[in-house]
Amino acid sequence: MLRFLLNRLLTAIPTLLIIATLAFALLHATPGGPFDSAKRIPPAIQASIEAKYHLNEPLWRQYVRYLSDLAHGDLGPSFQYRDTSVNALIRQGLPVDATIGVCALLVALLFGGAGGILAALRRNTAGDYVPMFFAALGISLPTFVIGPLLILVFAVRLHWLPSGDWVAGSISHLILPVIALALPYTAYIARMVRGATIEVMTSPFIRTARAKGLPRRTVILRHALRPILTPLVSFLGPAFAGVLTGSIIIESVFGLPGIGRYFVTGAINRDYTLVVGITVLYGALIIVFNLLADLCYAWLDPRVRLQS
Amino acid sequence: MRPRCGLLQWRWVRRLPALAAALLLGCGGATTQAPAPSSITVGTALAADQSVTRTLNAMPRTLDPSLLTDEPGQTVMDDLFEGLTTIGPDDNIVPGVARSWDMSADGKTWLFHLRPEARWSNGDPVTAADFVYAWRREVDPKTGSEYAQALAPIVNAEAIATGHAPVDSLGVTALDAHTLRVALVSPTPYLLAVLADNYLLPLHRATIERYGDSWTRPAHMVSNGPYVLSELIVGDRITLTRNPLYWGAANVRVTRVTYYPLDPDEQVSRFMAGDVEMTSYFPGPQFRWLKSQLGNQVVTGPYLGIQMLGFNMIDPPFAHNRNLRLALNMAVDRNILADKIYQGLNRPAYSIVPPLPGYTPQTPAWASWSDDQRHAEARRLYAAAGYSAAHPLHVQLDYPTDDEHRDLMAALAAMWRTNLGADVEPYNEEFRVLTQNLQLHKSSLFWNSWIGDFPDPFTFVQLAQKDDGQNYGRFDDPRYEALLVAAGNEADNAQRYRYFEQAEDLLNQEAPFLPLVYYTTRHLIKPYLKGWHSNLQDRLPTRYLYVLEHQGR
Repeated sequence: MLRFLLNRLLTAIPTLLIIATLAFALLHATPGGPFDSAKRIPPAIQASIEAKYHLNEPLWRQYVRYLSDLAHGDLGPSFQYRDTSVNALIRQGLPVDATIGVCALLVALLFGGAGGILAALRRNTAGDYVPMFFAALGISLPTFVIGPLLILVFAVRLHWLPSGDWVAGSISHLILPVIALALPYTAYIARMVRGATIEVMTSPFIRTARAKGLPRRTVILRHALRPILTPLVSFLGPAFAGVLTGSIIIESVFGLPGIGRYFVTGAINRDYTLVVGITVLYGALIIVFNLLADLCYAWLDPRVRLQS
Repeated sequence: MRPRCGLLQWRWVRRLPALAAALLLGCGGATTQAPAPSSITVGTALAADQSVTRTLNAMPRTLDPSLLTDEPGQTVMDDLFEGLTTIGPDDNIVPGVARSWDMSADGKTWLFHLRPEARWSNGDPVTAADFVYAWRREVDPKTGSEYAQALAPIVNAEAIATGHAPVDSLGVTALDAHTLRVALVSPTPYLLAVLADNYLLPLHRATIERYGDSWTRPAHMVSNGPYVLSELIVGDRITLTRNPLYWGAANVRVTRVTYYPLDPDEQVSRFMAGDVEMTSYFPGPQFRWLKSQLGNQVVTGPYLGIQMLGFNMIDPPFAHNRNLRLALNMAVDRNILADKIYQGLNRPAYSIVPPLPGYTPQTPAWASWSDDQRHAEARRLYAAAGYSAAHPLHVQLDYPTDDEHRDLMAALAAMWRTNLGADVEPYNEEFRVLTQNLQLHKSSLFWNSWIGDFPDPFTFVQLAQKDDGQNYGRFDDPRYEALLVAAGNEADNAQRYRYFEQAEDLLNQEAPFLPLVYYTTRHLIKPYLKGWHSNLQDRLPTRYLYVLEHQGR
C-alpha cells in the first residue's frame, strides 16, 4: 500500500514536469507577448519591464528559473495583473471554485445517484423514462445555455436570487451557479448509475441475496450499492479536479472570481505564469484525485489489488 | 490613447444570454406589454441608502496610476485620486488639487497653486512634492510605465523615458509645499485636460516606498480623491467608500460604490436583474431590443473614438495608389453600416477626427454625394488604378476576432464586391496577434480603432505622424509633418485647430485611412440614479452621482 502510494507520487513528478514544459513552450510559442501594447514604448522602458519579468533572458534560462521557482511552490508574478502574484490569484480563486464545485458534485451525486437507481429499479416504466428524459436533456443542454436561462428566470424575471457576484458565506449567491454546474453532472451520473444498477441487479450474487429472502432495501443498500458506486468513483476523480480548477463558463456567466476565468483572460493577455501555473495545478489535482479514486476503488471492490 | 479592444471575447458565452433573453422575454411576440424589469417608480427626495453598483468592461490590470493603461482602470482612478485639475460634472475641466494657475506669456511655463486643505486619505497634506515624485516615477524607465511618453510635453520627459537624462532633470519643480512649476517643451493648450488623467495624478511617496508593489492593496493604499479603496477581489469586484478627508467631501453624496468587471452580456443581465445600477457598456446587436425593453434607461452619446481601416502605404497594392485607396473609401456605404450593423448606435465617419467643440471636421466633398454618384466615381478611380472585372483587386482584410467586427467586415467585403467587383477577403486574428502583425507592418489592409485621451484633434491626427507607434500604415508626408510641427509651436488654440484642419484635409486627399464610424458611449442607467452627463470622454465619476428614492428595481 505504502509502496503503491510512493510509487504513484514519484511518477507524478515527471508527469508534472512534462505538463509544465509543454504549457511553457506552447505559450511562449504563441505570437504576441504580454507587454506588446498598441502604443510604442521607448526601448529603455520596454527593457525595464522585460527585465522585471526576466523576459530579456534566453528562453532556456527563463524555463530553468520557472522550474526552480515551481519546485519551491512559487508560481511567479502575474503578467496581466501587475501587482498580484499567481499564488495570490489561486489562493483567492480556489476556495470559490471548491465551494461551488463541491456543492455541485454533492447535489449531482445525491440527485443523479438516487435518480439513476430508482430509474433502474423501475426499468422500462414511466418512472424510468421521465428521469432519463431529463438526464438526456441535462447532458445535451450546455451550461452556457442553462446559466443565462437560470439568471433570466430567477434573477431578471422573478427577482428571487442574485444574478451573479460572489459573497463569501452567502447561500443565495451559491444557488444558481451550483444548479447550473450540477445539472450536467447530475444527468451524467444518473445515466451511469442506472446502467451500473441494471447490470448489478442481474448478477448472480444479488440473485443469491434475494433467494435468501432478504428484504429489497437490504439487498440494494447492503449488497448492490458498493458495486454500483465503483464506476462512479473513476468518474468522480477527474471531475473533482475539473470543478476545483473552475468552470470557465459558469464563472463568466455569473461573474465569479474563479480560476477558470483567470485562465481564459490569462491566455488572451499572454499571462505566461498564470496560464502555466493553472495548468500545472490542474495536472497536480488530476493526479491526486485519480490516486484517491484508485484507493476508493480498492476499498469498494475487494477484488482490486493495489499493485505497484 | 488606446485602441478599443480588451473586451473578453468568449464568443459562445456572449451570444447566449441574448438568445435566451429573446426566447424568454420575446416569446410574447413583438407587441408585448411593458416588461417587468423597468417597473420602477422614482421619487424626488434623496434615498436613504446612497450606495451605487456599477460595471467595468474588464478587471483593471493594476490600480497603480503610473502603470495602468486600460479604460476600466481610468474609471476607478477618477474616483480614487484627484490631479491638479479634474473632470467636472459635465465633462468640463475644473480645478482639482490646484486651486488656480498662471501661464507664462509664451505658454511654456505654468505655475499651479495647490489648495492647502487637500489631504491624503491618511490625513497628510497633498503637497507639490507629491506631484514631483509621481511624475518622476512615471517617466523613470525603472518604473516600466507603458504611458511614460504621455508626459512628453514636459521638459526632458522624453529624454528621461529613453534613458538619456537623469530622472531629477524633469521640468517640474515644487517651489514650496503648495506651488508647483511645470516647464513645457512647447505650448500645450490641452495641458489642463491632460492633468486630469491618471498618469499625472499625485502619489503618496511614503506608502509606495513602504509597501512596494503591494501598495495598491486595500489595506495599504493611500489616495487623495473622493473615495478610498476598501475591497478588491480580482475578477469579481472593487469596492470604494467615501473618503471623509477629501477636501470636497461635503459635496459627495454616494457613500459607497462597487464596480463589477463583467462581459457585456453579463452587464446587461445584472442590470436587468436589478443587481447593478449603471453599466459601462452593452452589446451593440442588442441595442434596439434593449431600447424596447428599457426605454430611456438606455443612454447613448457621442464618444471620442473612431473605427476605421488602414492601408499599408509602403507595399503594393496600396502604396503609391491613391486612386485605389479613394475608390475603396468611396465604395463604402457608411449609412448602411451605421444603420444595419450598428442599429443606429454609431455614426458614419468620413474623416478621422470625431466632432469636437471649436473644431470644424474636414468632411470630404464626396461624403454628401448620392450613392450612385459616389459609386460611379469609385468605379472610375478603381479603373484608373488599373483594376477591372477581368483583373480585380485581391486583398486580405485583417481584423480582430469579434462578432460585431465579423459582421462589419462581411458587409464591407460585400460592398466592395458589388460596387467595384473587388475581391476582399476578411481574415480574423486574435487581437494580440493582429497588433503584433501591425507593428511588423505585415498587413496590407487592416482594421484599426482609436479612442482619444483628451478632447483635442491632436490625439487623432498624430496617428498619421511619421514616428507615431500607431502609424501602422507608415504614412509619411512632409507637408503633413510640417503642419503638425506648426500646430505644436502655436500658442493660439484657434490657429492651432486651423493647422489640424489642414492636416485632416490632407488625410482626406491622400486617404491612408478608411474611416468607418465614430463610436458612441453605451450605458444602461437606472432612472433613480442621477447626476451623470453623457460626455465625449465617457468619464462619469461617482462623486457627482446621487440616488433618488425609488421602488422596484
